[in-house]
Amino acid sequence: MSPGAGPGGGRGTAVLRVLGLLGLVGVVATVWLGLWVTPPDRFMGNLVRLLYLHPAIAWVMYIAYGIAFLSSLLYLWPRTRALAWDRLAGASSEVGVVFTGLTLVTGSIWGRPTWGVWWTWDPLLTTTALLFVLYLGYLAVRQIPGEREARARRSAIAALVAFVDVPIVYFSVLWWRSLHQPPTVDDPVTGKTYVHGSMAWTLLLSFVALTLVYAWLLAHRYRLAALADLEEGEGLELAIAERRAEAGGVPARGEEPAGADLVGAAAGVPDPGARGPGAGR
Amino acid sequence: MNGYVEAGYIVGLGTLGIYAVSLLARERAARRRLGLSPVPSSRARPDHAGARRPRRGVELRERAAGETVGGRPEADGPQEQA
Repeated sequence: MSPGAGPGGGRGTAVLRVLGLLGLVGVVATVWLGLWVTPPDRFMGNLVRLLYLHPAIAWVMYIAYGIAFLSSLLYLWPRTRALAWDRLAGASSEVGVVFTGLTLVTGSIWGRPTWGVWWTWDPLLTTTALLFVLYLGYLAVRQIPGEREARARRSAIAALVAFVDVPIVYFSVLWWRSLHQPPTVDDPVTGKTYVHGSMAWTLLLSFVALTLVYAWLLAHRYRLAALADLEEGEGLELAIAERRAEAGGVPARGEEPAGADLVGAAAGVPDPGARGPGAGR
Repeated sequence: MNGYVEAGYIVGLGTLGIYAVSLLARERAARRRLGLSPVPSSRARPDHAGARRPRRGVELRERAAGETVGGRPEADGPQEQA
């Protein structure tokens, strides 16, 4: 997806539909293979089936924050500065927060029968919970009122700060004593892969399927952000037009000026100062 | 199996499904507010109700600019909205 793409676009929509369909087929295949085809694990039994979901969700979480980080860098870099990068960072972070929440919840569901507790202050779990809170904070920062460029700049800086926790989460199982197992595929310490056969293929499929789902969600969230920017601009235009109409001619008695509802909605836009002079009615 | 596995799949995939549907609904609502076609496709029929609807505020802007409103002369004074 091009970050400069607008909220519409026929070809983009067709590609998106194919992407969504592929993601859906991949997820259905993962569920079928994960729940009915693959064998139970020698040690974990049927609980291993949760691992066709949980690591893939965590993987998408890393991708989402990685893209938010790169987009924020590209926004801050003067030569590539464009609001599209800010929208992409915001969209990717929101999707990332959903996947982080799911990483924590699915991990907890797996941890209860495996470790005997729903939650423990393990380094990996704790830093992941911190990551969740950090990016919730980032999303809150995006909502702070202000001029559009200023909001984008402060959001980009917040994204860079929040991203510091991402490598800490990933390497926490190697840096500190952790209940959580180290990476099953291509362990950075031993270089070994501890999953084989149908289990390995199902795991790989889950990674691909959820990455496609992420791309679909990101594209739609980006479109929504582009529409919100358009709406914000529209609200400003309407406020100006309304003032001009008031100065040029009074609407009929009892007649609600066209677009008044949108102007009213613009009052909720986090930039009331930009609505034009005399906007406070 | 055991309840944990099913719960994990239902919570994980269910949440993603709900989030996906909410995104589509929000996008559709935003398009409606802006008067854009609810289906962002080049194949959308031009006579589609959403595609044909003028953007909100067009009338207001035209009036501010002293132009005709909806094809009717502005000289008659402010028109009732259709």
